[in-house]
Parts: sequence; C-alpha cells; structure tokens
Amino acid sequence: MYAMIKVEGLTRVYGTFTAVDDVSFTAEAGKVTGFLGPNGAGKSTSMRIMVGLTNPTKGRATINGSLYADLPNPGRHVGVLLDASAQHDGRTGREVLTLAAMTMGLPTSRVDEMLELVSLTPSEAKRRIKNYSLGMKQRLGIAHALIGDPKVLILDEPANGLDPAGIRWMRGLLKEYADRGGTVLLSSHLLHEVEQIADELILIGNGRIVAEGTKDEILSSQGTVGQSLVTALDNEALTVALKAKGYSVEPIGTGMRVSAAPAEVGKAALEASVVLTDLRDGGAGLEDIFLQLTAETQREAIAPAHPEGASA
Amino acid sequence: MSAVSVAPSTPLPTATKVPFGRLVMVEWRKMTDTRAGRVMLMITGGLIALVAGIILLVTALSDMSALDASTWMSALSFPVSLLVPVLAIMIVTQEWGQRTHMVTFTLEPSRLKVVFAKLLAVFVLGIVTMAIAVGIGAIGTVAGAAIAGSDPSWNVTGEALAWTLATQILYLLMGFGFAMLLLNTPAALVIYYGYTLILEASVFSALYFIFDWAQDVFPWISMQVAMMPFIAGNEMQAAGVAVEDGALGIARLATSIALWVGLPLVLGTMRVLKSELK
Ligand SMILES: Nc1ncnc2c1ncn2[C@@H]1O[C@H](COP(=O)(O)OP(=O)(O)OP(=O)(O)O)[C@@H](O)[C@H]1O
Ligand SMILES: [Mg+2]
Repeated sequence: MYAMIKVEGLTRVYGTFTAVDDVSFTAEAGKVTGFLGPNGAGKSTSMRIMVGLTNPTKGRATINGSLYADLPNPGRHVGVLLDASAQHDGRTGREVLTLAAMTMGLPTSRVDEMLELVSLTPSEAKRRIKNYSLGMKQRLGIAHALIGDPKVLILDEPANGLDPAGIRWMRGLLKEYADRGGTVLLSSHLLHEVEQIADELILIGNGRIVAEGTKDEILSSQGTVGQSLVTALDNEALTVALKAKGYSVEPIGTGMRVSAAPAEVGKAALEASVVLTDLRDGGAGLEDIFLQLTAETQREAIAPAHPEGASA
Repeated sequence: MSAVSVAPSTPLPTATKVPFGRLVMVEWRKMTDTRAGRVMLMITGGLIALVAGIILLVTALSDMSALDASTWMSALSFPVSLLVPVLAIMIVTQEWGQRTHMVTFTLEPSRLKVVFAKLLAVFVLGIVTMAIAVGIGAIGTVAGAAIAGSDPSWNVTGEALAWTLATQILYLLMGFGFAMLLLNTPAALVIYYGYTLILEASVFSALYFIFDWAQDVFPWISMQVAMMPFIAGNEMQAAGVAVEDGALGIARLATSIALWVGLPLVLGTMRVLKSELK
C-alpha cells in the first residue's frame, strides 16, 4: 500500500477533559483529505499526535504502517506544517530552509527551488522572520513542509493568512500533489477553504468524528436530499396538489418548503396548472450540515436555518 | 505558478536515519545563525580580551610584579564561567522560547539524539572558548613579564589545568541541565547565576570559615568547597584546615556534583523526553 495516514482509536485526555475522543480514519494516497472542525475541536492535537509531538492517551497513528517516530529521516517522508509562526524570529527565511535541508541531507539548491515554488523573492528570503507578514510565514511553512520531497503532507490550517490568490495557488499545488500520488491531510475550520479541494472530508467536533466521506456522501447520509423551496402564484393550490401526493409542505417566507425533489414539485405544479415563480433545491448545504453536526461544540448558538438556507 | 515540481517521486526513498554528526552540525549552526547568538559569542570573546587587557594595563601602569600563569588562568576562567554556560542554557531554552522545538523534533523524533547533539555542539564550543582563554593567559603571562621586566612564571601544573577545565565543564553541564529542567531562559539564568555568583562566591565562602557546621555541610552541597582539597590542598594546609582528599573528599565531591549537575541533567532530560511539544 502506497503512503497513507492511518489513525486508529486516537484519544487524548487532559485531566478530565477529552480533547480527542476515539478518532479513527484513513487518509489515502492520491487524495486530499480535509480535516474540518470548529475551534477547539481537536484538529491540532490529533495532528501533533500523528507526528509524535504529543503522546496519545490511547490509540495510534501510523504513516505507511509505521509510527512517525520510527521513520528514518522523517522529513523525507512526511511534510509537516503545524504552526507557521513557530520559527525563530531572528532567522531569515532562507536560513530556516537551509537548516531543514541540512538536517535532511539535501543539497542547498533545494532551498532556492522551494523559495521559488512559494514565490518568496530573494530579498524576502533574506529578511528576518520577525519582519515577515502572516502570509509570508505561511508560504515559508509550506516550503519547509515540501523541501524534503515527502510522500505525505500534514498541514494544520495552511491557508491561514494567505491572500485569495495564495489560497488558489495552494489549492492547485495540493491538488497536483495528490494527483501524482501524494497523501494530503489538511485541517481547517473554514468549510469553503477545504470543500473545493478535499476529496474526502472528516468532520470533527468536540474531539469526535461526526461525519466523514466525500461531500456527496455526507450530504446524502444526513438525509437532506429531496427537499425543495418553491414559490407559486397560487401557493394554496400548489399546497393542496402537493399534499394530495403525500408530501409535507411547510410555509417559509413567501413560499414553501416541500419534502420532495424539485422535479416532483414541478410535475405537481404542471398537473395542477399552477405557475411557479421560484423553484430550487432545498437540501441543506454542506455548511448547514457542518454547523448542525458540530452544534454542541460551537461557541456561538446557531441561528435557525435561514429561509433561503440553500445558498450554501 | 512555478515550474518546480512538487510531485512526490515514486517509489519511496529508502531514507537512512539522520546521522548524528549532521545533527551536531545543525545545532552548531543554530548557535551562530541569529544575531542574538553572534552577540553572545562576541561578548564572550570581548570579555576575555577585556580582562586580559586590563591586567596588562595595570601591570604596565603600576610597578607591581607580573602575574604568574596560574593567576592569569583563574582570572580568565571567570569570564568563561560567566558566559559559556549561558550558551549551554540558550541552545536548549531558545527552542522552547521561539517554539522551534516543534520543527526540530519533527525532523528528528529521537529527542535523546537531539539532546546529545545539542550537548556535544555546545561542549565543543565551550572547549574551544576555554582553549582560547588558556592561550590568551599564556600570552598574557609572557607579555606581562616582558612589561614588568621579569621572567614569566609558569606555575600551572597539568593537574591544576585539568581541574580548571573540569570546573568549567561542570558549570556548562549544570547550565544545560537546568535549561532542560526549566525550559525557560530567564529562570535557568537565575538559577545558574544564583548558584555560581551568590551561593558559591558569597554565601558558601563567607560562612565556611565562620561556622563549624558549615565545614561539615558545605563540602557535600557546594561543588567549589568540595573541590578545594583537590585544587588548593596546600593553601588549606597552610591555613590549618584539615584536607580531605581521600575517599571522604571524593564522596563529597561526587555528592555535590550529583546534586547540581547530575540531578538537573537527569530530571531535565526526562522532562524533554516526555513533554508535549506545542
Ligand atoms: N495541554 C492542554 N491542557 C488542557 N487542554 C488542552 C491542552 N491542549 C489542548 N487542550 C484542549 O484541547 C482542545 C483541542 O484543541 P486543539 O488545539 O486540538 O483544537 P483545534 O481543533 O486545533 O482548534 P482550532 O481550530 O482553534 O485550531 C481544546 O479545547 C484545548 O483547549
Ligand atoms: Mg488548531
């Protein structure tokens, strides 16, 4: 089996608080796996355990079958970015990469390649980290993760601080990386950051996995397909027609929410000769599901789903 | 955005472990690649040069006789003992202070190997610094004698030189041990200077000749007092103090070293090996 991350029953307890609670999943080769959860869900803790910086209370994480600590020269196997600001203020960006290259036994030409890859100019590379912007630190962190030409990437909120162009560039980079057989695990608390590139999503809240799979799998497993939002010139007539077909109808704003797919609603309207002014898929978006599933762990009480809640 | 390939090359490289020597080189480089590190090295060198310069200046201006080699050595080992242990402290605590420990220990998960690499790097630096100090002391002995118009006095025995080096190495290890135990630069500095400048230099030496109990207790808990019979046996005899350089003396020396060097090193290493890095 080609390089993959396997997490089995991972648990980490701090005192009486369980930060990571029996987490199991596999991040497969050739795929981008998104690790999503609100603040404090346990993403960073899980990732620190994967690379041996934090000891698990129970369970284990392996990379291609071995514990991270058992990998010889792990920088050549796994690219890690946990916190881009955890670098010495007084070192230059180039020096940070040079130290990594030295440790891994790479030629210094690799440093220049990586600087070019993440678009840090030679003059920026000579600056001290204390004078770096957040996005520049993040780019340096990505360069640091990639310098050893690893097969696996473990990135904690890599998009943090990147500008829109930078986020798009990073998406492309990770996508290409996975397409060529690499394994990518990246965390985020922002769904839209991950949604577009992740082949697999792992939703975590309160230390537990609440849903996992592809975007479509998560949507259908939550039973939100087959819902429509509809508005007609004659809402009453349409309600009668829909109820006659056995669907439930619930008024929302100027229209109704119907427990049927848009095609069924359109058919009913046609048969009843009712003119529709608006008809769309009323299934909850991924964002709604994400918010619902992680509701207990959110800091803010979640407002009831917006009437036009299908916008996500 | 760039032509550089990010593709993982198939198949997996059969990477070998990071060789220990390479880790030592990396740690050596980390001591000198920041302004803070370079300033520390410059202060160390500058202070040694300053002490030597002042001694020569005083020798030239006053009509005192030239200092002998052993006085030169103890004068110059003072700045070394003041600063080399700080380097030993910083090589550890800076990783935690700047949170670079996360990178260091993901690139080499064997924390013990990293600890030894750091220790070896700073040990070599300490030895080089001491060698420079001893060399300058030798030059000073000759130069001072030339200024005073006398013959240089080479009264340093091999044994005395060895004890001076051993003392400096013990201080270096002590700084390193407390650094790992506290993982915090100011706290480790306070403990180190508190011990060498307050306990050893003032408290122990002041009380030693005053109280009888001090003469019973201090040799067990003060490295400097415990070493006295071995370094300054003749002077002690002349002062009418019993010289314990037999088994009891060695037991005292070993106990004081275990207390101030052994214990912090062991507990500190355990802390570094076990702690969560974040
Ligand atoms: N040493 C510790 N002692 C007590 N609690 C801790 C400790 N370390 C982490 N925690 C708790 O574990 C939980 C998970 O933290 P973690 O940093 O993994 O969250 P996260 O998912 O990365 O969040 P974010 O999106 O904000 O980065 C938090 O509630 C945190 O307070
Ligand atoms: Mg986090």
